[in-house]
Amino acid sequence: MSRLSLQRWRRQLFGSVPDTVLSLGLGALMAWAAWGFLHWAFGQAQWLVVRANAATLAIGRYPEAQEWRLWLLLGMLVSLTGLSWGLLRGRGGAAAPGWPLNDRIAAALLGLLTLGLPPLLAFGAINQGRLLCLLGLLLLLRTLAGRWGNHPWGQRLAKGWPLVWAGAYLLGLWLIGGGLGLTPVRPSDWGGLLFTLLITSLTLLLALPLGVLLALGRRSELPLLRWVSVAYIEVIRGAPLITLLFLGQNLVGFLLPGGLAPDRVWRAAAVLTGFAAAYVAEAVRGGLNAVPRGQLEASRSLGLSTAQTLALVVLPQALKVALPALVGQCIALLQDTTLLSIIGLFDLLGIARSVLANPDWLGRYAEVYLVLAVLYWGSCAALSLGSRALEQRLSSNNLRPSHR
Amino acid sequence: MTSNQLMIEARGVNKWYPNGFQALRGADLEVRRGEKVVIMGPSGSGKSTFLRTFNALEDFQEGSIVVDGMALNNDLRNIDAIRREVGMVFQQFNLFPHLSVLDNLLLAPVWVRKRPRAEVREQALALLERVGIGPQADKFPGQLSGGQQQRVAIARALCMEPRIMLFDEPTSALDPEKVREVLDVMRQLAFDGMTMVVVTHEVGFAREVADRVVLMDEGEVVEVAPPQQFFNNPEHERTRRFLAQIL
Amino acid sequence: MTALPWWRDSRKLGWLVQAAVGLGLLVVVALLLSNLEQNLTRAGLRLTLGWLNQPAGFDIAETLLPYKASDSYGRALAAGLVNTLRVVGIGLVLSTALGVVAGAASFSTNPLLRGLSRTYVEVVRNIPLLLQLVFWYFAVFLTLPPANQAVQLPGLQLAKSGVYLLGARLVNGELVGGWRLSLELAALLTGLVIYSAAFIAEVVRGGIASVPRGQWEAAESLGLKPLATLRLVVLPQALRVIVPGLNSQYISLAKNSSLAVAIGYPDLYAVAETTLNQTGRGIEVFLLLMVVYLGLDLCISLLMNGVERLVHLKDR
Repeated sequence: MSRLSLQRWRRQLFGSVPDTVLSLGLGALMAWAAWGFLHWAFGQAQWLVVRANAATLAIGRYPEAQEWRLWLLLGMLVSLTGLSWGLLRGRGGAAAPGWPLNDRIAAALLGLLTLGLPPLLAFGAINQGRLLCLLGLLLLLRTLAGRWGNHPWGQRLAKGWPLVWAGAYLLGLWLIGGGLGLTPVRPSDWGGLLFTLLITSLTLLLALPLGVLLALGRRSELPLLRWVSVAYIEVIRGAPLITLLFLGQNLVGFLLPGGLAPDRVWRAAAVLTGFAAAYVAEAVRGGLNAVPRGQLEASRSLGLSTAQTLALVVLPQALKVALPALVGQCIALLQDTTLLSIIGLFDLLGIARSVLANPDWLGRYAEVYLVLAVLYWGSCAALSLGSRALEQRLSSNNLRPSHR
Repeated sequence: MTSNQLMIEARGVNKWYPNGFQALRGADLEVRRGEKVVIMGPSGSGKSTFLRTFNALEDFQEGSIVVDGMALNNDLRNIDAIRREVGMVFQQFNLFPHLSVLDNLLLAPVWVRKRPRAEVREQALALLERVGIGPQADKFPGQLSGGQQQRVAIARALCMEPRIMLFDEPTSALDPEKVREVLDVMRQLAFDGMTMVVVTHEVGFAREVADRVVLMDEGEVVEVAPPQQFFNNPEHERTRRFLAQIL
Repeated sequence: MTALPWWRDSRKLGWLVQAAVGLGLLVVVALLLSNLEQNLTRAGLRLTLGWLNQPAGFDIAETLLPYKASDSYGRALAAGLVNTLRVVGIGLVLSTALGVVAGAASFSTNPLLRGLSRTYVEVVRNIPLLLQLVFWYFAVFLTLPPANQAVQLPGLQLAKSGVYLLGARLVNGELVGGWRLSLELAALLTGLVIYSAAFIAEVVRGGIASVPRGQWEAAESLGLKPLATLRLVVLPQALRVIVPGLNSQYISLAKNSSLAVAIGYPDLYAVAETTLNQTGRGIEVFLLLMVVYLGLDLCISLLMNGVERLVHLKDR
């Protein structure tokens, strides 16, 4: 730190008497809290509960014999992530000679996590080895893809990349659920982090198009479409999620013929989708409002149909503007999945509570909940950061505002 | 095809806004093939509104408009066909900011006329050269100056190979030094034989390029005359008053 | 001239689309309702509200409204509603206070205070509310010591039997007197307030940031200290942006109060769930819940609209 900033800090912290008192008081408070926490974490806390149940927390009651499918899924995800990372970096134009600083920091962090965490959680040697291999795969693919980024081959690959992810997602669903050659694993056996991530991603993917439709409906000139959309959005937004989940679990049986009732997991997923769609609709509506009317006019005057105008001109711009709000919804959805534990499903929180109900681990609430808090916080904070980075990247495309 | 072919025939067009305000009163206009018609008038005179009825961006309650032989009515097929043949350039450029300059030009011909991308690409690049934006083909609209953006907008409209070009105050949003580069492009376009209807305040352009100049005031077509007569010896008092304000 | 086919007529198209959508919706609703009718009759539960007068037969752990197990379901639900209103009312006040302080603190000249405020917001926002609630209840409040070793804080005494405000005294190993909050209510309030205040802090921060820098500078040049500037010059202007944001946060808080069911506080939703389990009257209970919560949201919005008008009138 330069001498100047050091002086500035000193002035701000201790400039006047009230400031000094405040600084010292806050400093003392923070130190006391930190010391208290560390004392508890390394002294009184019994972390065995986390180590013994790490697998359960991660994948719930997924049958052990089928775990290899999850490893395969993880491998596929890691490969795709590595390739995507590399392709994104390589597209910069100039061939990136080494790795940018952010990438190196990320790689170092990942390395630390992979080397440090598994032994802490008492993963067996085999699993530790597998995780290290996966890390190696990630970094290798990132390096290779970084070089391909400038190849015409690589650029063609990059254009079709969203399709690759879509295909991978479907493949992942098959690996998890089974059927068609693989032993089926019932949704009620999916649990823990696996379940949370699955439900969040599935709900989001389904809620996005539904939300876009609702947003378009809300802005429609046709009164019926508008009223129906507004009514749906406002009623859903006014209701607590738990009451809607409740409806889904208990009342769907009444609404379907012959008391037909799909698996509880799908019922909950349907409710979550309908719920999230209302909020996505509001976020997209903000984006739609931001697209200037002239865009619509220019597009129509060129002869593009309403559908083409929407798909090619309006929605791309609207979604770009709505992106921060949409990521906010994604984060909210991830947090909302915890409510599934109240209706008896085994998302991460639900399975944690069932672990805590085990008399072996009675009273170890703080340890388990803290680990969960770190996991959730990490995911949400990462999403937040990612959205800010994406925002900056997208807005750098339109450098200068239109000159007069 | 004779040069007497009627491209736009508007008769007795009346338009009311939902709040009761009458924007157009019995407006008439005839535009023949290859003609350049300039529409002038005070603000609020309905000149932009009138122009925008020609490609159905504005509707009208009474009267009839026939564009390139197709009647402008509730028939969606007619409206689509008319929009394909009529190009429009806006005061605010309205380029698509999420697409590159080249992609702005390619969008409509590929998706509306269903032409192969490679073929349109060649034509688009040639058009961009013609308006002087050749080297900027891969840039994004946000990276261009106003004058450049408007020239791209003209090229984008031309890429659909329209038979009529409408210009809605194309230079009003530009810095004075950029106005000239756009007018030059329009002048060249006129010279190449395009049928043009231009709403503008640029008297110099009207004098040079227009075959006829139209004055609109309070929704009515007041006077239609060749530029010589319009500017030097107008028939109507309102024209004289308008000219006194702008000249 | 031949009439236009409907798919090309721009005037008719709109109506036809609406007719199609309307018809589709009607069909779906009719199907669902007929299924509902069939299933309800088969289960012997026709839609009615008469059962509200039947005796409830269950206890409610704590109520402001006097209630006993022999009272009607209607009274039980009313007790739940009162509990919800109690939590929401106190919660709104406390979270606003904390949120405003935290939001204003992010503009402090003291970097420690700024950092603390930012850290608080960034940490709390990204952890699910339910997790925070169960943490507070199970890991903190349930581990409180018995009454004779109660934790002493200024004005507060925390013990296994509850949280006591304003002077409770130890009598025969038990705490009596003062105002007692059950552990459930205390945990619910703590979690809810801390969570909501973080979001309110962001709203306040955004509002203050929306006031042009020139206002601060003008106030400073007039000799006003930062705190006074904030209070007299900036906050009144920031309120215009803050009030709509507060509206949505308050509604969130009201909805989030329904998570009380997870930690055993008998709010409206919890009582409703018990009622449903006992009577099987799913549709009626659900509709009641929706009406009440939507009504609550409406009240909050009306209140905030009134506040907004007040804030507006002041400077015109």
